[in-house]
Amino acid sequence: MIKKFVKEALAGKINLVEHTEKALEEAEKINKEYHYITAFADAVNRAKELQEQVKNGTAKGKLFGVLISVKDSICVKDTETTASSAILKGYKPVFNATVIQKCLDEGAIILGKTVMDEFGFGGFSTNVGKGYQKPLNPYDKKRSTGGSSGGAAGLTKKASFPHIALGESTGGSIVNPASFCGVVGICPTYGRVSRYGLIDYGNSLDKVGTLALNTEDAALLLEVISGRDSHDSTTADQPVHNYSETPGAISGLRIGIVKEAYAEGIDNNVRKHVLEAVYKLEQKGARRIEISLPIGMNYGVPTYFTLAPAEASTNLAKYCGIRYGANEQLTGNFNEYFSRVRNNNFGEEAKRRLLLGTFARQAGYRDAFYTKAAKVRTKIIQEYAQAFKQVDVIITPTVAIQAPTFDEVKKLTPLQNFMIDLLTVSPNLAGLPHMTIPVAEANGLPVGMMIIGPQFGEQKIIQVARAHEK
Amino acid sequence: MKSEIVIGLEIHVQLKTQTKLFCSCPTEAVEPNTAICPTCLGHPGSKPVMNAKALEYGAKLALSLGCKIAPTVVFSRKTYFYPDLAKNYQITQYEVPLGSNGQIILDNKKVVHIQRAHLEEDPGALIHEAGGCLIDYNRSGIPLVEVVTAPDMESPAEAREFMKKVLNVLGYLGIFDQNTCVIKADANVSIKEKGYTRVEIKNITGFKEIERALNYEVQRQKQQDVKRETRGWDADKGITYHMRSKEQEEDYGYITETDLPLFEISQDWIRKIQATIPELAEQRAIRWTKDWKIDEDDANIIAADLDVATLFEEIARKTDPILTSRWTRREVLRLLNDKKKTLKETEFEAKTLTELFKLLQEKKITDRIGQRIIEQLADKKFSPNAYVTEQKLEVMADEGALEKICKEVIAKNEKAVTDYKAGEEKSLMFLIGQVMKQTKGTAAPNVVKEVLKSLLK
Repeated sequence: MIKKFVKEALAGKINLVEHTEKALEEAEKINKEYHYITAFADAVNRAKELQEQVKNGTAKGKLFGVLISVKDSICVKDTETTASSAILKGYKPVFNATVIQKCLDEGAIILGKTVMDEFGFGGFSTNVGKGYQKPLNPYDKKRSTGGSSGGAAGLTKKASFPHIALGESTGGSIVNPASFCGVVGICPTYGRVSRYGLIDYGNSLDKVGTLALNTEDAALLLEVISGRDSHDSTTADQPVHNYSETPGAISGLRIGIVKEAYAEGIDNNVRKHVLEAVYKLEQKGARRIEISLPIGMNYGVPTYFTLAPAEASTNLAKYCGIRYGANEQLTGNFNEYFSRVRNNNFGEEAKRRLLLGTFARQAGYRDAFYTKAAKVRTKIIQEYAQAFKQVDVIITPTVAIQAPTFDEVKKLTPLQNFMIDLLTVSPNLAGLPHMTIPVAEANGLPVGMMIIGPQFGEQKIIQVARAHEK
Repeated sequence: MKSEIVIGLEIHVQLKTQTKLFCSCPTEAVEPNTAICPTCLGHPGSKPVMNAKALEYGAKLALSLGCKIAPTVVFSRKTYFYPDLAKNYQITQYEVPLGSNGQIILDNKKVVHIQRAHLEEDPGALIHEAGGCLIDYNRSGIPLVEVVTAPDMESPAEAREFMKKVLNVLGYLGIFDQNTCVIKADANVSIKEKGYTRVEIKNITGFKEIERALNYEVQRQKQQDVKRETRGWDADKGITYHMRSKEQEEDYGYITETDLPLFEISQDWIRKIQATIPELAEQRAIRWTKDWKIDEDDANIIAADLDVATLFEEIARKTDPILTSRWTRREVLRLLNDKKKTLKETEFEAKTLTELFKLLQEKKITDRIGQRIIEQLADKKFSPNAYVTEQKLEVMADEGALEKICKEVIAKNEKAVTDYKAGEEKSLMFLIGQVMKQTKGTAAPNVVKEVLKSLLK
């Protein structure tokens, strides 16, 4: 879809300025109703620039003229970037994230920033920061979009103009909302895509990924943003493939079905439709192998909710009202000032995770929590490595339930809230590429299927998704 | 048996790299907040990137202090809130330091064990001005090495000597610039009288201050009740002051800095670094005393300054090393000290000094003339040989000629002659001085003495 649009745009068959203005109008309209966008970038001027390029024959790029929305935790130069937190209100980055620069180099137009759980702290996008409105599910406004990339997923579903979204996942924040909103979401291997310019949540876990209406489009954006970056030492020097050209042939492919991921606690509709999709893949020549991942499934959530908040509590320490973002009247000593700025501007969930995370790394508790969790994480990585000796990909439901209503979300205890990440935290802890595709609708709501691949096995998961789409 | 005073040091040394530890900002800047970028300002989304040079310098220092280098270099986040700390955590090393188990041996042969030497970033600087406080982030991210000793020192003077020895090593390695880099120390000190209750003194700049601060603190502990606490050093007032008690100590909640990869250190790399380490002062001094029979004190003092030591070696190879060592210590170093200059800031060079020392060695000029010439050589380059010929400064050792002058002096100084004859030895020195004056310092003093003695018999 996007490729066709780019071809036409490059050929000058589309008036990019008019196209962009129209798209913006639609986006604003959607936004009024669904609250997906927190800030608009200067898209029209960029479209004019690109139109000029068409005119003087310099137009080029895989994303030429394509509107890209950006999760609010990714820095876009001169465009307000806050990770949907009041503490960064008014902050305009002085540099572009590497992924943004790469998109611009391929001729993309940045549309704006999409709303999220504050700093990524949530699975329902109900934990948006103070002063932000939570996004509404495109299928049913009484329901959650999922999170934390809720704005990205909702806008991707709702926008009728050609559009791809940049999202970010720490513990499932791409595939979870993509699944609730019925779109495709790809989260790459940790180290596949640069995090330079990504506002940290848990920096050993954060990954920039993509959301789109179909696999090809999501894969196209992924191939643009992938690759080693000298500004991010954790990026890998691994070859980048043309992911969007991955064929959907899966003959002989071994699919691992995780026993624990279809057990009690998984919604019946979800289980049924995902298994049906797996059956469809078997019909196309794939082989189904039952596997068990007891460590990841049993200890993934506590491990994640120890490590991620511990890292977050250091990553968010810098927000104290001195150099940028929210600030207040300078009174009292610096400790009192910092506490006041942080207390007034962080939301409740942010405070919960910062306190949890600080606790988990204090002397006396550190060994029992942070250090132990790091060890379990290594076990989970090893468990997956073992599993991938037997299978090529692993398939589970993306989330155990379909999109819940806001009332249902409200009733969840903090622990139940954390459990929403049950299926997604383990591949995130292991830094493995994973993606979700919508496989069915039940009760008028989408069901997502998650495909997990081995390290740098992006092509394998995309291959399976393509096979399903055929 | 434990000593009266127990001192341990934590020394922080700024490294002379071109750029900061985790970004490409320059390490030298004049105007506040001009050498800054998103990374050293802790902007959202910025990431640290390791400066390989800093790792190399850190390893150089660690190896020179006799440390073992860790097989993997890992960084951690040390979290505490402070306005000069851009991220409110400092990237440092915690579990595994770059170097460990080193030592420095003091002149009295006491071994000061070095527990660890690790790399970390400097925070920014707070500038307190009337009515407020400003923050300069130019310093934020400058590479530091922290050297931690065991509590092996037993006097403030030993602490000073230790720090001086570290500075000396730094100078030899060329990784520290005395004009721009800062060396700071935290000291923990306890005394027997008060049951070795440990007090930590923060923020002492330079080796002279360390002795001052510790002297003050030891006296204070003798006179007051001692509690476990952290104190600051106020150099202006010359006192230590209470900062916080042990219960108020912050918990730094260390976690791994995963934005930086693990750096595997190969034996090959260590060998390469080791090969770039020059012979250090101590080894040099030992070699000189052994090979050239130089006085141990002279050797140590000359070796302490890398430039002077290098100059000395070059000259000593061409002349008499013992004579050269004496002249280097007594004249060259004295002149540097008087002028408050480093060797590089003077006109001294091996070529002219070699010429001069050869004239002295061959007794072609007197010491007095030598001193006069060396003083001029500090400010101007010229050939001592040509100068001596031109100014007719060759030594006068001809007894006949000297006898004539001595007779004149005796005739003019009756009182001194009488005094000498009455047993006043000093008067002979006076008469020699008069001869020297007459000859503009060229008369060989020992010959003059003999001539005078025989004339006054």
